[in-house]
Amino acid sequence: MLNASDARPAPGTSGRAPDDRAVAAGRPWGRIVRVAALVVGVALVLAFPTMVPNAYILSAGIVVVSYACTATAWNFMGGFTGYVSLGHAAFFGLGAYGTGLLIRDVGLSSFVAWIVAGALVLLVTIPVGIAALRVRGASFVIVSIAFVLILLLVFQAWGSFTGGSDGLVVPRPFPDLLRPEHHQVFFYLFAALLAVMLVVWWAIDRSRFGTGLKAIREDEDKAQALGIPTRNYKLVAYVVSATFTGLAGGMYALWFGDLDPIFQFSIMLGSYMVLMALLGGVRHLFGPALGALIVGSGLEYFKLEFGDTQLHLVATALLLGLVVLFMPDGIIPAVRALLKRFGPEDSSIREVTAAELLERNRTASHDAPSRDTASTTAAATAPATPTTRQEDGR
Amino acid sequence: MTTAAPPATRNLETVGLTKSFGGVHAVRDATVTFRHGKINALIGPNGSGKTTFFNCVTGMIKPDAGTVTFRGEDITRRAPHKIAQAGIGRSFQLCRIFPRMTVLENMLAAVRRTRRRELLKGARNAEEIDKARALLVRVGIDHLENIEARNLSYGQQKLLELAGVLMGDPDTIMLDEPAGGVNPALVGRIGTLVQELNAEGRTFLVVEHNMEMVMSLSHHVIVFDRGGPIAEGSPAVVQSDPRVLEAYLGV
Repeated sequence: MLNASDARPAPGTSGRAPDDRAVAAGRPWGRIVRVAALVVGVALVLAFPTMVPNAYILSAGIVVVSYACTATAWNFMGGFTGYVSLGHAAFFGLGAYGTGLLIRDVGLSSFVAWIVAGALVLLVTIPVGIAALRVRGASFVIVSIAFVLILLLVFQAWGSFTGGSDGLVVPRPFPDLLRPEHHQVFFYLFAALLAVMLVVWWAIDRSRFGTGLKAIREDEDKAQALGIPTRNYKLVAYVVSATFTGLAGGMYALWFGDLDPIFQFSIMLGSYMVLMALLGGVRHLFGPALGALIVGSGLEYFKLEFGDTQLHLVATALLLGLVVLFMPDGIIPAVRALLKRFGPEDSSIREVTAAELLERNRTASHDAPSRDTASTTAAATAPATPTTRQEDGR
Repeated sequence: MTTAAPPATRNLETVGLTKSFGGVHAVRDATVTFRHGKINALIGPNGSGKTTFFNCVTGMIKPDAGTVTFRGEDITRRAPHKIAQAGIGRSFQLCRIFPRMTVLENMLAAVRRTRRRELLKGARNAEEIDKARALLVRVGIDHLENIEARNLSYGQQKLLELAGVLMGDPDTIMLDEPAGGVNPALVGRIGTLVQELNAEGRTFLVVEHNMEMVMSLSHHVIVFDRGGPIAEGSPAVVQSDPRVLEAYLGV
């Protein structure tokens, strides 16, 4: 028997027609809003360096965009496969030091060194990934932390090669540029790197490969039983994620020009990536970048206000706690759900007049007795109308 | 779909399959031949090793000894995804679906993926969506395609799991307790589906406790006790076998 909240229109009635029209009307609007938001976002990013009052704000902007890069890079692994790595700073550090050392010791030019360092991170990640991905869940988190700690100790201790705790000075790629111009160039370079990552993430998200990765996130054994080569999929995601993180690290080295193991191979940096991605929403393309904008701005502000105290760490911890408690899926889904609640054509119960319902039940009982088992149970569990779900049809 | 059934009546068989956990022999020297193109049932008391046997065949557990052969090929110790790609689909005892994906996404995740260069192809291409929808219509949950799978009732999740398995066009389908935990009407529906799919040429291997279903559905019944087969034959033959009665009733 159907009831008023049944989402399934009975065959033979025009029950589906209103939905289809609503979909046709609702979809382009969603798309227009989305495209407009994207255009505005890109314009704001491009205009940012010309709008800032001073070089300090600009450099804070670079920090935020570099955070957006690392969080988005992390999300290739964390978002798609659900494997939470707290040690992604390892790849950031490797990329940064790789770039710096290739310039200093091999004499490569800055951006060649950057690319080569990215390639090296890629190569290093393959055996590391094969080893680390043998475990899941909490064990994987521990392994990822262990890896970054090992690298921290190595880079600190091996002073003759890495400069140790004295730091490593990376020559600037554009020695002729004044400081504000230097910042400006690097703001755009980071933004370009971020754009590349977003395009790649988007392409994977909509691909078969991406669907396979998401299946792994949901239920790894089940995914494998359906024929998905889970180990290789995870490894590819891990390597892509690490390589992009390494490229972000290399870019940071070229911009900042001074590396110290304690900051490059830092658990904090790895935790920020996780926090930002979770805050924004790991299932969404722009989630990590949005998280980086919020957390990054917050961190910079706290550092400015509270200077040398560790208060910014407390604030970060509080933020993480709030996210986990109240927005486990991140801001984007939370806001979307909120909009949906106030949205016009989105009552969770479809209103049907008594006459319509009667007519429908009559048709249904004629037509599909065998389907009844499925659709009665469906009624209770299908609160959303097809209209709202269609919008997600990316 | 069957692709030119081999002349032999066997497509899936095990020889001397053995698996023990600690000192417990979960599966002991199990030599079983499943009838090709038929509905085979695997029954036995709890703890008789049916699910472990299942997991050994599908590669989820590596057997200690013995071989599994599928269409003349040794598939023992192959990775589960290789076995799935070879044409053996399976369901799980406690039905497993991708909870935070929609019903349709669940189906698209189950697309057979053997060609590497197609991996970056869009997941939502018309051909596969059509195929997914046709299968959803077939199991009767097509109206739920945009619902997240975790919101489905348990029975609907079972149907989704079956539809997902069918997405990979398996030649042989292994169902672990398809009637477990679902209402009688749905048991009938699943039974009918199995019969229809079998009529199209798919081989079934069903682990089931619902004797009514087993006896009405299957062509060939294999009875397990203490890790290996103790009897096999048509439902009628098995039902009157004293060894089976002893294993079940302890008389």
